Amino acid sequence: MPQSDNFDHNEIYSAYAAGTLDPAFSLMVATQAALRPSVERAVARAESIAGAFLENETPTELSDGALDRAMALIDSIEPERRDVTEGVMQAGYALSEILDLPEPLRSSALEACGQSGWRALSSGVKRLNLDTGSESTAELYRIEPGQMVPRHSHSGEEYTLVVTGGFSDETGHHVAGDLCVKDAADTHQPVGDDDGVCYALAIRNGGLKFTGALGLIQRLIGQ
Amino acid sequence: MSLKNQLDSIDERSHLADCIQRVADERCKQAFAELFEHFAPRLKTFLIRQGTDEAAAEEIVQDVMLNVWRKADQYDPQQASVSTWIFRIARNRRIDRHRRARPELDPSDQMLQPQQTEQPDITVNRQQIEIVVRREINTLPDDQMDLLKAAFYDGLSHAAISELFDLPLGTVKSRIRLAFQKLRRQLSEQN
Repeated sequence: MPQSDNFDHNEIYSAYAAGTLDPAFSLMVATQAALRPSVERAVARAESIAGAFLENETPTELSDGALDRAMALIDSIEPERRDVTEGVMQAGYALSEILDLPEPLRSSALEACGQSGWRALSSGVKRLNLDTGSESTAELYRIEPGQMVPRHSHSGEEYTLVVTGGFSDETGHHVAGDLCVKDAADTHQPVGDDDGVCYALAIRNGGLKFTGALGLIQRLIGQ
Repeated sequence: MSLKNQLDSIDERSHLADCIQRVADERCKQAFAELFEHFAPRLKTFLIRQGTDEAAAEEIVQDVMLNVWRKADQYDPQQASVSTWIFRIARNRRIDRHRRARPELDPSDQMLQPQQTEQPDITVNRQQIEIVVRREINTLPDDQMDLLKAAFYDGLSHAAISELFDLPLGTVKSRIRLAFQKLRRQLSEQN
C-alpha cells in the first residue's frame, strides 16, 4: 500500500470493502491483494467485517412476487459458455502474458485489448488504457527488458504498482507487489529489469489530488 | 451476544452454506429460495442505506441473487462465510454499474475469480479471519462498533464519519484503528 503518510490504510480498505473506493484505485487494491498476502489479509478482514454487518442487517420487505421473479430469471438464463472474446484475439502475442495476470486485472486488460488496444510509447514500451468507470486514469504498462519508459508529464499524483517482473528508477528497484507514489514534480522514468518483461499498473487522477476536496473515497451513488 | 445467540448464528451460517452447496451441486430451487428469503431483504436494506431508490434496489437485489445462483459453484466455505461472499457480489455489482462495459463480457466475472493460489503455502486463511471477526466484532464497545459500521459497511470516509458523528477526525481514526488492530491481534494469536 502507499508509503505516503497521508494515507490511513484502514480508510482505503474499509472503502474498498464497502464499494465506495474510486474504481481505478479499487482495481489497484485488488491487484496488490493478489500479489501481497499482507494486503490480502487486510482486505479479507475488511470484507469480513462488512459481511458481518450484512448478516446482522434488519430486513426490508421486498415487493410482492419478488421471489417468483427471481425464479423466473433463473429459468431464463442460458447455460454458461466460455466465449473467445474479441479482446482475446486482439491480445495476440502478449496473450499468454496477460492470461498470467491476476484477476480482476486480467479481465480488465483483455477487455481493453478489444477496446482501446495497446499503444506503443517507444519500441520497447507499450501501454493499455483500462476502463474502470473512474474519472481517474488506469493504464497497464508493458516494459521489455532493459527498456526505459519515456518521460510523461502528469499533474496530481501517480501510483504505480509492479504486477510482474520489476523496474528501477531514482527511488530504487521495485518488484511485483511494490507500489510507487509520485507527485507532479517527480520525473519518473522506470527502466525494466533485464531478466523479463515487466507489467505495471499506473493510476493517476489528473489535476485532482487523491487526497483533498474530492478525496480518494468518492460516493458512487447519489450526490 | 449471548452464547446461545452465538451458537444459533453458527447453525444458521452453516445452514446457509449448505444451501449454497445444494444450489451448486443439485441446482436446488428450494435451497435458493431459502437463500433469497434470508439475504434479499437484508441486501435491500443495505442498498437503500447507500442511497439507492427502492425500485433500483430491488433490481440490484435480483441481479445479485441471480449471480448467487450462477456462481454458487465458486463459493468455497473454506474461504469465506456466505454473508461475506454475498456482500462481495453486491459490492462488485455496485461498482460495475458505473463501468462502460461491453455487453458480452460479464463484469461480475472478473471480480469473482477465486484468489490465485500459485504458492499454496502463503495463502491467506480467510476462514480463520471470518471466524475471528464474527466472534470479536460483537465484543467491541458501541462507540467503536458504530464507527466500524460507518467505515466498512457504509463505506464513508473518515472525514464524513467525523462530520456525521460530530467527533474530531483524530478520534474517528484512532477508534477505528483500535478496533481493526484488535481484530488483527486476535488473528495473530490464532496463528
